Amino acid sequence: MPFEELEHTADVKMRISAPDFLSLLAESGDAMSSVLFGDFEKEPENMTVEIEAEGADTSELTVNFLSELLFLTEVEYLVPMSYSLKQDGNKVFGTVSGIEFDRTKHSGGICVKGISYSGLSLEKTSAGLELTIIFDI
Amino acid sequence: MHEKIKRINNTEWEILKGFVENMRVSGRFFLSDLLAEGIEDGALTQLANVACLPGIIRHSYGMPDIHWGYGFPIGGVAAFDETEGIISPGGVGFDINCGVRMITTPLTEADLTDKQGLIEELFEAVPTGVGAKSPIRLSQNDLTLMLEEGARHAVELGYGCEADVGRCEENGAMEGADVSAVSKKARQRGVPQMGTLGSGNHFLELQTAEEIMDEETAKTFGVKEGQLCVMIHCGSRGLGHQVCTDHLKVLEEAVKKYGIELPDRQLACAPLDSPEGLSYFGGMAASANYAWANRQVITHIVREIFVKRFEIDYEEMPLIYDVAHNVAKWEEHDVDGVRRKVCVHRKGATRAFGPGRSEIPHEFRLAGQPVIIPGSMGTSSYLLAGTDGAMSQTFGSTCHGAGRVKSRSSAKKSLTGDAVAAELLKDGIYVRAPNPAAIAEEAPDVYKPSSEVVKTVSDAKISKIAVRLRPLGVIKG
Repeated sequence: MPFEELEHTADVKMRISAPDFLSLLAESGDAMSSVLFGDFEKEPENMTVEIEAEGADTSELTVNFLSELLFLTEVEYLVPMSYSLKQDGNKVFGTVSGIEFDRTKHSGGICVKGISYSGLSLEKTSAGLELTIIFDI
Repeated sequence: MHEKIKRINNTEWEILKGFVENMRVSGRFFLSDLLAEGIEDGALTQLANVACLPGIIRHSYGMPDIHWGYGFPIGGVAAFDETEGIISPGGVGFDINCGVRMITTPLTEADLTDKQGLIEELFEAVPTGVGAKSPIRLSQNDLTLMLEEGARHAVELGYGCEADVGRCEENGAMEGADVSAVSKKARQRGVPQMGTLGSGNHFLELQTAEEIMDEETAKTFGVKEGQLCVMIHCGSRGLGHQVCTDHLKVLEEAVKKYGIELPDRQLACAPLDSPEGLSYFGGMAASANYAWANRQVITHIVREIFVKRFEIDYEEMPLIYDVAHNVAKWEEHDVDGVRRKVCVHRKGATRAFGPGRSEIPHEFRLAGQPVIIPGSMGTSSYLLAGTDGAMSQTFGSTCHGAGRVKSRSSAKKSLTGDAVAAELLKDGIYVRAPNPAAIAEEAPDVYKPSSEVVKTVSDAKISKIAVRLRPLGVIKG
């Protein structure tokens, strides 16, 4: 599993690994989906929406990307499953695909209120990148 | 305890300057011996970090339910000077005006012949958890009016009665709400979520007033022994979360623009009188108003079910009071003998104004402001009153709940939701949630004992206990 939950008293803290930055964003999206929707069965995708985020540095770009994804899950009732992303300088853009939220299938998680800068770290490792991030719930 | 932490008396402790660099004032927190055993270093560091912020007055405060949060600790309180002070979303939180209200009924536990049926009906009627959709169709115009007028507009739409408005802190609507500071994205999240509970520690609970601990105060508040009550805990939902997210970006820049030195990026802030600070205040106030409207709509749904099931009148379920837990507000306080207008941040803390304050409903004014402190699913909640001690010691503030001591991940590893629900049922508490994990994560064991937290605020004289309420049935988000 490219992400794991760490101890945190009030919120959900995750450690996420990926070989490069765009993969890290996708894995971070999957990590957030696991918080929001719990373990759910993967089905054929039937929704695709555009996503775009900017940030002064990679940490800010990560927070803004996840904030945008959170927004899309709420207003589009999207359960994200895959990402097609590109990066242009301090901007990330592309599409996120998935399935429409279904209360009978996707109620295994908890609402995320925001993406926190608290305890945020993004470091290079021998295998690529490692992100530690807290989802405020 | 750390060498820079000094015990003042049985319940009050001081974090001396120097605990972290650049503290402008010392920190003060309230803990009994038992609660002090579990205090987190991270929460104390956050309390000390708040003491570094420009314009902070007297002390940075921590209530007995203090724990590690975002920016401020949960249970953190700080007041800032009108001209030199700042405003920070880190002192309010993502869930702006997460708060709690209490409603009484003319019923007793003996009337609950089908508790499970009632809880299930409430669970179906009050949208709960991830993906919950509003039970009402809210127009853009009505959303705007809710952002401006809060609970009052919900009542005008038929969700409640006139008396409800006066029983909310700020009469259910903060002044200074600025609709233009609420983004289109926030509005998009707000429309489909009006009247929804959310998740996490949000709940709707049936309780019985099991112990009257102060006869006169309980009588003033209109609560009798054995009375069935309802408590609702939720906030401004995605709208408030988006407002926080949007303004954090702006305030990150404002920190650089105004040359504010911060010990922690989470305390991003701006001077109170700056355009950025004013804009955040306006957006936050509008979100707080949305939260009051949200709790008002849920209250209406609950009342309608009770009216139909028990054949009682709508007016027989009065709102006792509604308090905000996450908010920054302009208030007048006596500071060193001088009356000053200050901006009080309460992050996981409750206003607890003492007797005589004009902000308290006139019928409660001599008793002090009602303060509602929820316990966990299996432990008692309490109705208290604000005190003169709170006015002199904590800018009229007290705790907001039991306070977590155990992480969600460890709770899920050591407990299953089904086992927790079965255990609670043995005590007569029926629990309903969208999934078992939501029950495990909020099990009674993950919280500090509510009785100890409430005893501590009572011993510290920042609140007076009036009623203890035992849970009977719980809906967890």
